[in-house]
Amino acid sequence: MRAALPRVVVIGLTALAVFLPLGLIFYQSALNAPFFTPPRVIGGGAFEFIFADSDFWDSFKNSLIIAAAMAVIAVPLGGILAFLMVRTDLPGRHWIEPLLLIPVFVSPMVLAFGYVVSAGPVGFYSVWAKQLFGGVPWNVYSLTSIAIIAGLTHVPHVYLYSSSALKSLGSDVEEAARMAGSSPFQVAKDVSLPMVTPSLLFSGVLVFFLGFEIFGLPLVLGDPEGHLVLATYLYKLTNKLGTPSYHLMAAVAVCIVAVTFPLVMLQRFLLKNAGKYITVKGKAGRQRPLPLGQWRWVAAAILILWLFLTVIVPLSGIALRAFVSNWGEGVNIAEVLTIDHFREVFAQPTLVRGILNTVLIGVIGGALAVVCYTAIGLATHRKPDGWSRFVDYLVLVPRAVPGLLAGLAFLWVFLFFPPLAPLRSTIFSVWLAYTVVWLAYGMRLVSSSLLQVGPELEEAARSAGASRGQVSRDVTLPLIRYGLLASWLLVFMIFEREYSTGVYLLGPGTEVIGSLLVSLWATGGADMVAALSLINVVLVAIGLTVALRFGVKLHD
Amino acid sequence: MIESPARTQPATPSKSVAKLSVDDLHLSYGDNAILKGVSMQLSQGEVVSLLGPSGSGKTTLLRAVAGLEVPHRGKIRIEDKPVFDGAGKLEIPAERRNLGLVFQSYALWPHRTVFDNVAYGLKLRKVGGGEIRERVDTALKNLGLGHLGERLPHQLSGGQQQRVAIARALVYNPPVILMDEPLSNLDAKLREEARAWLRELILKMQLSALVVTHDQNEAMAMSDRILLLNNGVIEQQGTPEAMYGTPETLFTADFMGSNNRIEGQVAEINGAAARLAGEGWSLWGQLRGTAAKTLKAGSPATGMVRLERVRLADGPGDNRVRLPVVTSMYLGDRWEHLFHLGATRLRAYGNVQLPSGEHWLEIPRSDLWVF
Repeated sequence: MRAALPRVVVIGLTALAVFLPLGLIFYQSALNAPFFTPPRVIGGGAFEFIFADSDFWDSFKNSLIIAAAMAVIAVPLGGILAFLMVRTDLPGRHWIEPLLLIPVFVSPMVLAFGYVVSAGPVGFYSVWAKQLFGGVPWNVYSLTSIAIIAGLTHVPHVYLYSSSALKSLGSDVEEAARMAGSSPFQVAKDVSLPMVTPSLLFSGVLVFFLGFEIFGLPLVLGDPEGHLVLATYLYKLTNKLGTPSYHLMAAVAVCIVAVTFPLVMLQRFLLKNAGKYITVKGKAGRQRPLPLGQWRWVAAAILILWLFLTVIVPLSGIALRAFVSNWGEGVNIAEVLTIDHFREVFAQPTLVRGILNTVLIGVIGGALAVVCYTAIGLATHRKPDGWSRFVDYLVLVPRAVPGLLAGLAFLWVFLFFPPLAPLRSTIFSVWLAYTVVWLAYGMRLVSSSLLQVGPELEEAARSAGASRGQVSRDVTLPLIRYGLLASWLLVFMIFEREYSTGVYLLGPGTEVIGSLLVSLWATGGADMVAALSLINVVLVAIGLTVALRFGVKLHD
Repeated sequence: MIESPARTQPATPSKSVAKLSVDDLHLSYGDNAILKGVSMQLSQGEVVSLLGPSGSGKTTLLRAVAGLEVPHRGKIRIEDKPVFDGAGKLEIPAERRNLGLVFQSYALWPHRTVFDNVAYGLKLRKVGGGEIRERVDTALKNLGLGHLGERLPHQLSGGQQQRVAIARALVYNPPVILMDEPLSNLDAKLREEARAWLRELILKMQLSALVVTHDQNEAMAMSDRILLLNNGVIEQQGTPEAMYGTPETLFTADFMGSNNRIEGQVAEINGAAARLAGEGWSLWGQLRGTAAKTLKAGSPATGMVRLERVRLADGPGDNRVRLPVVTSMYLGDRWEHLFHLGATRLRAYGNVQLPSGEHWLEIPRSDLWVF
């Protein structure tokens, strides 16, 4: 079948936006010097250099440790939380769910900074602990702490996948276990969680994969003791050599992609099998929550402890730090309260522009991104052919490229192709990078809306005489409009949160809060970082409030 | 084999003690009352069916006994031990009631083998490994599943899955076994075979069973006693013969079989007999239930007659009407003829196809119930 022209254009542009930057990374990694220095020599020099660098291997090892620890911490905890929230009569579970998802929508940079000001050597909670116990029994800068914090903040990712699997589980299998004589936690251990093993496995791989990508947490928390991970190693290469060593960065990038790409493919494979046990179930009746009885206190304690450590500690730290002029032992909070930091933020044109840009890229950029995602979605909607299979894989490719690398790659695209150069200093460059980085996420949102349109509705329009284009315009799009609005909100929050993608694109005119935080942190402006972080959290919170107000499902 | 407790223990002193007794049970979801005061008993070795249309509360009653739904009033006792008391705020959780429940969907755990599915209840009861193997093997053999222990549920046929579900509920010798529509997930053809098999199993093992079903034939075939529920209350209870042969209410009469329903007016009453009449016809029937007290000459009434009781006659006679045949439908073992009696459709069985035109039908006086 010949594909229609609009379809070819959409798929072609998507392929270009995905493969051009990625291709440049591979091309650059195979050169012995940055691509703009005249004697461009093909060779393995870049790889030889980083493989000989002990820091590279240290950071590789650290990435591996952190990723593994994250999976070990997040999977059991996320599974238990999902069970408690979805399957039981835990009190207050309906209003707790949005709180649970906060770490997904708050920038890791902000969370990391929150841990520093809360639990760092002179953090709020550390100082209070010192007054209570005479010492601080933890050290947030150790590799163990970084791994634990990364694990705790990724619990929601496991929660998202296991809760949607648990939701589709019939209550009957759990009731059968209760009839046989098992207590609520035995039901979780013996029946509910084993039945969603495929989803837990999937989310385990996902978290391990995210562990290889994390940048903000190790950048902030790993710095004082010099713990590097692959992403921060790449980021610090420039400082190390003093010159733009693009070939080395590209080589590290290729190494990261070499790990993440197989993991993404593995996730795809696992996701296909995720419904394995669920399809076996019989007629699932009304879902009935499992009464916890006296276990409810244990359950509530687990949940509250996690919420405290993962959400309350960092966010309360940020909120407090944004309003105090300084903090340390013996400082009385009432005496140091101030709003000077915000005055200072709004006095700096760069920061004001950054805030404005962040709002714009979330609201307008988010809408444009959803338009793009919808166009791609429609290009493959109910057309099971080679093109659609190609797009299926195509949208997964950016998933394997961490935001930091994607931003770098887009920088090179703008440098490499002179006609594109004027766009580099506009916010368009950042929007394009964001849209490509979140392609897989956005496509999942859009296609889940598209899949809810009954095929017979479209078939009815076809048999009434509408062309494919008319079906899309007159039937499909009007039916998914609320789904698209919901996607817009979710993409808005993700774009507000994004930080790493903009790091290399940061320049006059392209400032966004995320990348400003990274650069301000490097120059040590803790006051500014706190104020800007709080503004960022507020922006996300506005999105979250609107989403909840309109009943947008935060996940499927 | 699995032995019911009553056979392994010496005869209990009071043989009349019910295995299960439910007293004035009330249950509602929010403002929606589901059970409005249901009482019932189940004796040792007895099979009781809870029958009723959907929404009548039969499954809810079963689940309340199991401990999966919480009533707000009434009492439930199992082997004379209270497990729920609305007044005394007593509620034993489902997992400590020691009952066996066979789910409509079977609810087999797909990640466990057949053996592990059946063994789970014993494991939770801390039975030793050797004894578990022995008891599970016996249970599987009793249900004709001896060779399937290592299979996973999805590798079994529907009938086999049902047997595993029953084995799982029986293996720890619960005092009462509860079954929620045990046959409804089977193919129509398999269902009748399974019904006979299940009845045989219940008798052989002397089980005390409470079975939910919406199919009156299933209820009659399987049980010693039927409880017909309607809108949260028990409409009528009794043996299958009594429920089918002497219904006390219109609802029971209508629910228990295939009927002709004839609307008319009471023309005259003579003791327990009443003459029901409409435009151009008049038939004698007998007053049932409360109708004997409430109906008077002139009041509108409903006549009800089982399809199989309407006979084709060759000429005029007592309680006969002459009606035009509309069509004859071939059912395999017989024909079903459709007649018009005014605006009412009247159906009757016959052995041969009827030529078009008018025919005489006889409705015996004792078979026409007037409500």
